[in-house]
Amino acid sequence: MQIKCKINNKEYDFDAEPTQRALDIIRDFGITSIKEGCGEGECGACSIYFNGKLINSCLLLAPQMDGAEILTLDGLLQETQVIRDSFVKEGAVQCGFCTGGFVLRAYDYAKQGGSSEKEAIKDALDGNLCRCTGYQKIVDAIKKSMS
Amino acid sequence: MKYLKPKNIEEAIGFIKEYSEFYLFCGGTDLALKVKNSSIDCVIDISLLSELDFITKTDSMIKIGALSTISTILEDENISKYLPILKSASSEFASHQIRNIATIGGNIANDSPVADMIAPLLVLDASVTLIGFNGERTIALADLFDGFKSLTLENEIIASINISLKEHEYYYRKVGVRAKLNISKLSLAMIKSADGFCLSGASVNPYTMRFSNLEELLNRGKFSNDEILDALSKDISPSGSYRSTKEYRTQVMLNMIKEALRGFKSE
Repeated sequence: MQIKCKINNKEYDFDAEPTQRALDIIRDFGITSIKEGCGEGECGACSIYFNGKLINSCLLLAPQMDGAEILTLDGLLQETQVIRDSFVKEGAVQCGFCTGGFVLRAYDYAKQGGSSEKEAIKDALDGNLCRCTGYQKIVDAIKKSMS
Repeated sequence: MKYLKPKNIEEAIGFIKEYSEFYLFCGGTDLALKVKNSSIDCVIDISLLSELDFITKTDSMIKIGALSTISTILEDENISKYLPILKSASSEFASHQIRNIATIGGNIANDSPVADMIAPLLVLDASVTLIGFNGERTIALADLFDGFKSLTLENEIIASINISLKEHEYYYRKVGVRAKLNISKLSLAMIKSADGFCLSGASVNPYTMRFSNLEELLNRGKFSNDEILDALSKDISPSGSYRSTKEYRTQVMLNMIKEALRGFKSE
């Protein structure tokens, strides 16, 4: 079926099978900041903004994209500069696979006026998993980026 | 696969009439993974039915449109003030990314014995308004469930969940192996009001139901530990699964009921 949507402020018009996932479609367009981690909505590595809300693109089907405005980290580089710098400075990156999702969630959290208390930041990261470096440095990086 | 995206309720009802087998689909956080390998070849995506996306409050009632996301419920001031048990359940629901798109109607219609929102709604005595070929009807939420993964819907769409407001105290606790993104081993939702106690919980029956024996016992006012255990054994029939055992679920449910009773103000 024919799908029209906006990804990172650019118009896309494409044909897709109804069961194709947004995650695969967006990556096939060369937008590869989103990753497939678990593929079942738990790890947040595929997080995207879908009509202004952060969601998992592995659980979004192609027809749901029709008419939608989608943003990935690639489209928010300026807005996330401070957070990304903070991740680098704090060493909050090991393999980097989950990092895009964490940065996007950190941006989302700060934008919604989230508290910079450590416990609140940990709570806010309930939809993002990291399997190598652990969460301490990620939480520190987010906290410092908010001050 | 046929993927239909009706623009309003009339069109959606038309599609329901036309196709005998279909998935009603909205946020997709459960169904997106299922539709791919399913023999059901038709999806009716109702996400454009914006008339079902609302939360309204009158003097006596809060109505939650079926398309309200869990995030919307979590952030709603009236829910927080008048139905805090729903806020509590929403805050422990999956993760931020899932709450942002998963709907309350979907959580009910998916009809999982572990669904997070059903038990709190049951103890609030919620009703559901359904829309179908023959117009609208409103039934008790409890009457929607009729066995494991078996809804009494008759080619209908859940339009809203309606809750009458009354003074009450509440207890809600969800237990699982982790604090976040947790599929419950079990949960307990409990309300105490002038009408007495209402109890329900997830993951302890083939479908979520009220604990009527316990309610009767607790409303009598005097009860022993053995009587609670006896009533509980009539109200729950937990299975042993990879998520938990029958014994654990029974013991922890008992502990939570006692914890809840200690927390309520005594008359």
